[in-house]
Amino acid sequence: MKILHISDTHIGGARYFDKKALEHVVKESKKGSYDLLIHSGDVTQEGKKRHYENADKILFSRLEIPYVVIPGNHDKRSGGIALYKEHIGSPNGVLELEDSVIVHVDSGVQDSDMGRVGMIKFDMMRNALRKYHKKSIKVVVLHHHTIPVPMAGRERNVLSNAGDLLDLFLKFDVDLVLSGHRHYPNVYHIDGTVFVNAGTASGKKTRYGDANSYNVIHVDEKRLSVETRRISGEKDVDKKEYPRHEQRIFFDFGKRVFRIIHVSNTFISTSNIFKRRHFFNAQDIINSLKGDLLIHCGGIVKDGIPKDYDLAQKYMKEFDLPVVYSPAGRDINYLGYDLYEDHFGDIDQDFTADDVYIKGISSAQYDTPEGIIGEVQRERLFYQLNQRDESFKCIFLHHNVLPIPHAREKGLLEDSGDFLREAVDEQVELILTGTSSHPFAAQVGKTVVVNANSLSSIYQRSLFGNSFNVIDVYEKVLVVSEISSLWGTRRTLGIWERNNQSEQ
Amino acid sequence: MVEDFPKFHEIESPIRTFISKRVIGIDQNTSVQEAAKKMVEFNVSCLMVVKNDEIVGLITNDDLKKRVIAKGRKPSIPVKEIMTSDLITADIGISVKDALETMATKNIKHLPVKEDNEIVGMLTFSDLIDVQKQKLETHISRE
Repeated sequence: MKILHISDTHIGGARYFDKKALEHVVKESKKGSYDLLIHSGDVTQEGKKRHYENADKILFSRLEIPYVVIPGNHDKRSGGIALYKEHIGSPNGVLELEDSVIVHVDSGVQDSDMGRVGMIKFDMMRNALRKYHKKSIKVVVLHHHTIPVPMAGRERNVLSNAGDLLDLFLKFDVDLVLSGHRHYPNVYHIDGTVFVNAGTASGKKTRYGDANSYNVIHVDEKRLSVETRRISGEKDVDKKEYPRHEQRIFFDFGKRVFRIIHVSNTFISTSNIFKRRHFFNAQDIINSLKGDLLIHCGGIVKDGIPKDYDLAQKYMKEFDLPVVYSPAGRDINYLGYDLYEDHFGDIDQDFTADDVYIKGISSAQYDTPEGIIGEVQRERLFYQLNQRDESFKCIFLHHNVLPIPHAREKGLLEDSGDFLREAVDEQVELILTGTSSHPFAAQVGKTVVVNANSLSSIYQRSLFGNSFNVIDVYEKVLVVSEISSLWGTRRTLGIWERNNQSEQ
Repeated sequence: MVEDFPKFHEIESPIRTFISKRVIGIDQNTSVQEAAKKMVEFNVSCLMVVKNDEIVGLITNDDLKKRVIAKGRKPSIPVKEIMTSDLITADIGISVKDALETMATKNIKHLPVKEDNEIVGMLTFSDLIDVQKQKLETHISRE
């Protein structure tokens, strides 16, 4: 199957729209032997009648191959969704082909740039994936991105329920998720699903001086490749290729080289928000696990006040293994910034052992739950990591870099797109986070990203109750398990091969 | 990882979303004792048995009890001597209802799952029960 994936054509006035670039795309669709063209939204600049008429005239009426199109946020401006239905058709649907299925859903919110897949549409997607799950190639199309996109400025328009969508796509073994919106091309391979963002095909708002672009996607029985082709500019083609079948049975682990205990949101305080019994049971279980290091990804105390910090210092001293910390916003509010350093040391902490380097980076800000690392800090972080010779490198921070299921997506780092891209490109082996109090683990490229649930706060989102993670680094695989704070029950969140031949 | 027990209305759903997709295995020449250690370490009730990267069998908690301890055999024997090699498998597309019926009819609690003739996961009765147990533990332990 060969797909021409375009997005964000922004057909409108000459200030926003480059007609020549679109002409290039139309010609490409005729000469490239494509099976299908997929347009992932923002067909028009402002959703106006004349824009839709023009889109039909210069794009859709000239296509000689089947196409799938969805609306973007620009298409829904000024009541544009009614015109979209009139000129293009249904904004949601399912296209069944011989060996493939394309589920396409409108993720826009009228007169807003935000993205959301509401409950009805979520159920529609789930039902379609359930019905067609045996198709050899399963494709989902949404305008807004599920995974943060690099080089696209502040992260703000990821789908509000991106975590639930990511979970749905992984559970149904979706092959391809196609999006646009951010005007920057990007590809991630996450546990067998390839997430593709297209750049803008003919909009004049390109990022970082990049050219207009489109994606050429090939899928066969064994491989899936995504080629980003620039319409002009110096860097013409990026190509990424992925195997379609992943290793599922793991039997050769090698020796265990390191064990990390990963905790978050203990919320230690005298308040009943802090669950003492859960904390002390977990402490006993953790001490019996003989880990090499405990990493606390923030939310140590309920508030940054002396009473909570004094208690936290007393309780945390009872762990039998070394502990490193990275703060959450709540740890540094009120007097927290000073108390943190007095009680737990530097804001950015690290740990070194034989062939293991673990580096904390503060993402918290005063008086806000939102996180940011910042450009200067990020450059410094990756410079430091590149200076290290250890073969196992891990970064830990409070804010999540992948969306978390069962949570409205609000904890993501403002610069998560750039941070995640760089970590994956640098092949950092592990990223640990601790936001939104729900456990989650997935591998992006060769980087395993793990979020921890709350260890001992009443505010947690998992039906399995409060928990922490154990990350066992073996010579050949990395195993992530979740352990119940209260009972010690263990379940595996994931196993991934280390340093294998898989791609980024 | 098993995340949820199928809800009543999902009984006709395919097993794809309820299976463990990353399964722990062991080489056929490894000792039964090592296998037991691995099962304890990862809290799993079965292991796939592998020979030259090919799956050749399965061993379960029950096999350790019935075929080793109850018979007084040594823990140093290789797993290939006690494994079940005639595997009953299910296609990833069958419904939860049909999978449970197969397990009940054949009296098995572990069902390797195939897609395009390759084993891609495992449906384990005790994992499904564990999910319920953990939810119950959470429910009764409110602080």
